[in-house]
Amino acid sequence: MDRPGAPMANAAHSPPLRADGPALELRGVSVDFGDRSALRAVSLSVERGAAVALVGPSGAGKTTLLRCLAGAQRPSAGAVYVAGADLYARAPSALRREQARVGFVHQDLALVPVLRVAQNVLAGRLGRFGTLRGLARVLAPRRAALAEVHRLLERLGIADQLFQRTDRLSGGQQQRVALARALYQEPTLLLADEPVASVDPERARDVIVLLTRLAREEGLTLVASLHDVELAREHFPRIVGLRGGVVQFDTAHGSAAGAALASPFHAAAASALYALDAAPPPDAQPHASDCEGARE
Amino acid sequence: MSPLRRPLPFGPRAAALGAIALAGCAAAALLGLTPGGLALRPGGLELARDLLRGALAPALFHEVPPATPGAAPFLVKLGLAVLRTLTFALAALSLALPAGAALGLLASQALWQGSRWRGPARWAVRALIALLRSVHELLWALLFLAALGLNTAAAALALALPFAGTLAKVFSELIDEAPDRSGRALALLGAPTAAAVLLGRVAEALPDLAAYTFYRFECAVRSATILGFFGYPTLGFQLQLAFEDLRFRELWSHLYALLAVVVLLELWSGALRRRLVA
Repeated sequence: MDRPGAPMANAAHSPPLRADGPALELRGVSVDFGDRSALRAVSLSVERGAAVALVGPSGAGKTTLLRCLAGAQRPSAGAVYVAGADLYARAPSALRREQARVGFVHQDLALVPVLRVAQNVLAGRLGRFGTLRGLARVLAPRRAALAEVHRLLERLGIADQLFQRTDRLSGGQQQRVALARALYQEPTLLLADEPVASVDPERARDVIVLLTRLAREEGLTLVASLHDVELAREHFPRIVGLRGGVVQFDTAHGSAAGAALASPFHAAAASALYALDAAPPPDAQPHASDCEGARE
Repeated sequence: MSPLRRPLPFGPRAAALGAIALAGCAAAALLGLTPGGLALRPGGLELARDLLRGALAPALFHEVPPATPGAAPFLVKLGLAVLRTLTFALAALSLALPAGAALGLLASQALWQGSRWRGPARWAVRALIALLRSVHELLWALLFLAALGLNTAAAALALALPFAGTLAKVFSELIDEAPDRSGRALALLGAPTAAAVLLGRVAEALPDLAAYTFYRFECAVRSATILGFFGYPTLGFQLQLAFEDLRFRELWSHLYALLAVVVLLELWSGALRRRLVA
């Protein structure tokens, strides 16, 4: 898929593809839903093989940002570059090919409940085939494909569930199936939306360790949104804080908040701020005097 | 007067109920329905009593010794009638199910999303479905009977045509109402629309689709029974003979057999549904 130095068809829209260029880049991306802005002029660049955690309160725009990267949310303004090419300037068929190489672990997992575990994982490659061949590969898999899925599930510790119906699995096991489906895509970019939201806190650490280890082993670029700043700080070398659709801090740029986050004490404070505070961004908050005036 | 009382006593809901009541009265007046129409015919009470008495003592043997010597025992005859009824229903449904499933999928909104053929394609499929449904299976049966005579295959086809239409209509609705989370996830990883719909929405709707198919099988059993009134050797044929000869205990044996089949189907479909929903 990656052809370093190959001339791009839409060279006018995008810089030439370089092997050492960033894996993904957002340039002034805004997303508006009606009169509400989910993202406001977000610019972000992530190197190949990097692991980035997006933190921030609910409604900060984490999911919207991930959906932009996955080709599922066209920005109202700005551009999204994946592997050097403008994702949304592409023809639908080219976008589809690009999406086939982006693994996405959904917050609610979005597995097909009545299918077998193996079939849910096999569905990860549906983007490579036409309808009939894709369906055949999932519903009547080849022996070699099943062996590959089995090896993948072995690495995730659920190989014994290969032929189990997916909805019979525990929440933690289903989490691993969703991860297996994303990895079976052989992605270059792995996106995870609140991967530990449906897992109890004890297991959350295991899931994050697994996610970051697999991404590192496969050399994938990983972007995961997380509620828990502490968890992000422990396992991700880079943390981007979002709030009200605006990047508040980025540890890669050594901003004050980022530096503060490096110390455990301040991390706890930031954790309280970003995880619990669902208030609008500071610029949208009314002045204290206004509040007092309104209280009468 | 309570301050919560609505300002207008007649809202749109009351108006709709009133309109339904008025339409009912108008229909009754047009048909000349009066309580007098319910008066018993002479001898009617006795007939009704005999009929009901049969319900308490269904026949296990021939009520009247059969005219031909060496005729099969009553229960064997009954069992064969049940078996033939089920065969008709099964033949009809095995024709109707693939056709109904294919048409139902083609008629669903989900399959055509984002396609420029969406409008005309769905319109054509839904017109075909309406055509199949609008003619009742008994009318199809009469048509085939007139054209082909007493023909088993034609009878099964007569049942299959409207059943395919009904299955298709309800299947398309169930598919469009099914949760779409997994289907959207598959579309996001680049799956073609049809594959995402089949493995997403259709797979999620599977328990409902199976339950509805079982219900339609139950309907097919009842329709196959009625086919007997045209001379096909199903339960209806035996029912008609028993009724004409005033063999009310045998009549009830056949009705109970039909009831047993329907109840067993219901239990089976319930068990299957529980398994599918997990």
